[in-house]
Amino acid sequence: MRTSLKLAAVLAVVLAAASTPTATRLVPTAVAPSLSSIGPLAFGPTGVLYAADRNAATIFALDLGAQASGAAGTASVAKLDEQIAAMLGTTPADITVVDLAVHPTSHNSFIAVTRGQGADAKPALVRVDGAGKVSLVSFDTMTFTSVALPNPAAVSPNGRGGRTQSVTDMALMDGRLVVAGLSNEEFASKLWSVAYPFTTADRGTSVEIYHGNHGAIETRSPVMTFLPYGAGAQAQVIAAYTCTPLVRFQLGALKAGEKVVGHTMMDLGAGNQPIDMLRYSKGGQDFLLMANSRHGIVKVPTAQFATLPAITAKVDTAGAFEKVASMPGVVQLDLLDAQRSVSIAQAQPNGPRDLNVTALP
Amino acid sequence: MVALSRPRSNVAWVLFLVIGFSAVACAAAGCSRSGPAAGPISIGTAPKGASGDTLIEVRGLSGSELRSLDKANWDNQATWESLLHVSIGDNQPVAVAGRHVVTATTLEFVPSFPFDPGRTYTVRFDPAQLPTPRNETVVTAHVRLPVPNRGPATEVTAIFPSGDVWPENMLRFYVHFSAPMSRTQGVKFIQLVDSAGKEIPDAILAAYADLWNDDGTRLTVFFDPGRVKRGVGPNVAMGRAMVQGKRYAIRIDPAWPDGYGQPLASGFRREFTAGAAAYDAIDLKDWRISIPKAGSTDPLQVRFPAPLDHALLDRAIGVRKPGIQILAGRTATVDHEKSWTFTPATPWVADTYELAVLTLLEDPAGNKVGQPFEVLPNTPREPPPPEVATIPFQVK
Repeated sequence: MRTSLKLAAVLAVVLAAASTPTATRLVPTAVAPSLSSIGPLAFGPTGVLYAADRNAATIFALDLGAQASGAAGTASVAKLDEQIAAMLGTTPADITVVDLAVHPTSHNSFIAVTRGQGADAKPALVRVDGAGKVSLVSFDTMTFTSVALPNPAAVSPNGRGGRTQSVTDMALMDGRLVVAGLSNEEFASKLWSVAYPFTTADRGTSVEIYHGNHGAIETRSPVMTFLPYGAGAQAQVIAAYTCTPLVRFQLGALKAGEKVVGHTMMDLGAGNQPIDMLRYSKGGQDFLLMANSRHGIVKVPTAQFATLPAITAKVDTAGAFEKVASMPGVVQLDLLDAQRSVSIAQAQPNGPRDLNVTALP
Repeated sequence: MVALSRPRSNVAWVLFLVIGFSAVACAAAGCSRSGPAAGPISIGTAPKGASGDTLIEVRGLSGSELRSLDKANWDNQATWESLLHVSIGDNQPVAVAGRHVVTATTLEFVPSFPFDPGRTYTVRFDPAQLPTPRNETVVTAHVRLPVPNRGPATEVTAIFPSGDVWPENMLRFYVHFSAPMSRTQGVKFIQLVDSAGKEIPDAILAAYADLWNDDGTRLTVFFDPGRVKRGVGPNVAMGRAMVQGKRYAIRIDPAWPDGYGQPLASGFRREFTAGAAAYDAIDLKDWRISIPKAGSTDPLQVRFPAPLDHALLDRAIGVRKPGIQILAGRTATVDHEKSWTFTPATPWVADTYELAVLTLLEDPAGNKVGQPFEVLPNTPREPPPPEVATIPFQVK
């Protein structure tokens, strides 16, 4: 999963101040969502599954109903991609795993998948339960609401042209769904938030996040993954960017239309994409666990966050972290419970993708 | 294994495969009531409703057998799969997901996702699993939908920026194709090479996100921002991928699969020279507007001092009367993205118009209207510009 939502209930988020709905009429619930694409995923604390539909520039809030739970928990599944592909009537090469999210109460794992390539590609949602059973989740009887992502103003007779909007991460924070994304055109760094339940009046608000780099030059870049961090007046967002600064900013600074400059406190180094982050405690200490494209799994003690100065020196990496060699090839990561993570890993290039339940390091 | 053609109508069976059959007494099958009589079990394909997607049909079941199946109304998918199991390959225990539907004449399997053309599916029907079991052997068939007759045909049609000089701190470029491409990670088929044809490693950002346009005919490709931005670790360690004054090329591997899984008709190579880095914000005061005469439909032309982003030019500029709806017309990007034109659908009138510009408009190095990509230390922090900036002009 792209984010840990366990903190959501305790966060006193100030984002709400950025936008006050002028009406409270709720978006009506409908049945059988027609997603044209799927992913990323994020669960709310009550089990609502938020699924981004990039092709439709829409966020769906799905009520899984009875499909929320099979046998409790998640069991490891070797060659998960082969099982999913067989179930969807195709081969692993034609399966793209988009995201992984753990249900907050059943602890079943839900996996967003794209079946096929090209214009005929179709979205699918798959569940893995505590017995290791892999099931296709049906949208046919599912109830849902949805909200459209904002589009820039239209000034051209060509409309939005070839612009698309991908979502890189989502989290529900104090009743607001916070969404990070990037466009295939403008290179922006925006967090967009909207109240949940969705209302007919609230179109959400956006803020642009800048971060200082090593040379203290401020720049912008899309947030690839983020995590709610801290509570109350200290509530923050930890955001990870490409190549790979770790930036924190106060939620209270997120006022609509304003430019926010984050505090770059760590850098995990070059040529690297952050994939997922989760937070956990072990032995009385608090850690972030990050999955990365080049650096693999990295364990970051969070105690240093309070004292790390903003990076100004030109160094390759900054801040203390430890590479976890025992979890190679992780492409999706989420917290399963207080002791374990669940991940999808491709340990060998072109090898099978396994679902692994692993003790937290 | 036998290939099945896609039938043209609901009633048109192109081929039945009868793998196993043993005679069944009419009385045993219960054919005394209405519905088809029991016959040899056969497996075939048929189109599904308006979509034309293919489903699998089992024929030869009697009216009585079909009614008992319908009445059984099994809610356990595994029970259905023990009767009629569809899979990829003979030894695959995992069943293809789908619905089992009992009709007046057949048992259907409707897959959750359309069958792939050219792929072989194994269909297994076990008569012993019927509510009233038949004492017959399992019937097995292999079905395969025909593969459309396509060869490599898709080509790279353009790469933007179209000019011969790219700033050495360029952030992104666009690759255009003649037909929809697969949504695979395209960047592995793209290389930045030097004048000797040697690849420059870590130049292009891998695994970013799905940056295709809606129909899969244009991919946005980023240079690694860590090497582009000054003072960032990769920039310090490796420098920029491109150095001003040197010659480079973007090379596209013809193995890149298109939307039909076919390779490109040919590779593609686009040469250019790295120019000076672009650090300045776009300033609308530097733009020059050629204003057409009233009564004509001559194009309005806007010239920029340096090339701007090709894709953003397509949607970030328009013409309107102040406060009124954007005018209909045709836009074009010319002179290697250093000029933009607008040809109105109806003649200009003598009046005040304005050019409306989204301030998210960028140059190829990511500098926006009023905001450079990189803000140097100790630079006074400007408030963000409005979403839309305007340049008024008078048509006479």
